[in-house]
Amino acid sequence: MRAFLLKIEPLIWLMFGQGILIGTMLLTGWILVVGLLIPLGMVDASALSYDRAHALATASLFGVVPVGKLVLAALLVLPLWKGAHHVRSLHVDFGGAERDGVVGVILYGIALVGSVIGIGAVVGL
Amino acid sequence: MAEKTIVITRFDPDKDQAPRKQEYKVPCEPDWKVLDAVNFIKDELDGSVSHRWSCRMAVCGSCGMMVNGEPKLTCKTSINDYGDRIDIEPLANFPVVRDLVVELDGFMHKFESVKPWIVRAKEKAADQAALHETKGTYSQSAEQLATFKQFSMCINCMLCYAACPVVANEPEFLGPAAIALGHRYNMDSRDEGNAERNAIFRGEGTVFSCSYANECSEVCPKNVDPAAAVNQAKFEAVIDWAKNLVLPRGGA
Repeated sequence: MRAFLLKIEPLIWLMFGQGILIGTMLLTGWILVVGLLIPLGMVDASALSYDRAHALATASLFGVVPVGKLVLAALLVLPLWKGAHHVRSLHVDFGGAERDGVVGVILYGIALVGSVIGIGAVVGL
Repeated sequence: MAEKTIVITRFDPDKDQAPRKQEYKVPCEPDWKVLDAVNFIKDELDGSVSHRWSCRMAVCGSCGMMVNGEPKLTCKTSINDYGDRIDIEPLANFPVVRDLVVELDGFMHKFESVKPWIVRAKEKAADQAALHETKGTYSQSAEQLATFKQFSMCINCMLCYAACPVVANEPEFLGPAAIALGHRYNMDSRDEGNAERNAIFRGEGTVFSCSYANECSEVCPKNVDPAAAVNQAKFEAVIDWAKNLVLPRGGA
């Protein structure tokens, strides 16, 4: 299983890298808005109302490129792979190198299932 | 002058079953480095203590040891940074030959495996067009040099291997210094060996085994930043992999 993981490693690493970027930048902003600014009354809660969020998610460029959906899909999918890859690395650092193949497949499997559900939800918007 | 207790981990493969600790009272001068204390023990107290050292100016890379559990270049580490008791052990993650001397063969083999030399498809002296263009030299601009100069400052002291949690778990891991060296040649404008090295970097136990602990860069005494090299090498290997997918290379 490790040999298989090694083969797809460049692809996973690419998604991991993008996941870190999105995870650290966008999710930090999300936590800032939802966790601090809205409770403190500095941002009006209606800013994140369903209608507004839906309009943003279904926004498209020239009516052709579904920018909103692409961004939302990336936001849902990439951090999953980032998390799976980080937990796998952590597991190896804690002495789990022998089980790395199985653990890696399970973690990436979870990320894959989550990605399919996430993309499915975004496509169906 | 202050007396300090230096605890040295001793191991003689002919006599000892396991490493043991031995304490020495050393009258330390204020301007001493840790290496001076070990040299004092060797010269004045116990000639049987074995350790490696040479230049005493942080360029030869031979006096790396664990000082209070941290990998340090002992000729660059002031004795005043520590209290009255200093624990000195051989570099972690290496087989011990004797006392503070570790086995280098595995490390040297890893170095060789990344082809740390300029690889050319064709020597420039035989390439008439290029010869005419550059007056026969492999000319390089300051900008081109700057892309890899930092990675070429490595003195092979192996502190990064002693600090790396991945090396500790997987001794066959290519490791920070070797990857940084391979990456240094990949970034060299005169080199044409990227495809060969990237193929090595995509193999088992190389760049993708790195788990981003960044300890290698923390302990590097020459500010080489091997962690940056490893992660740049990952990116290069990914781009190379993607290019190969779109446009398979025909043996070039």
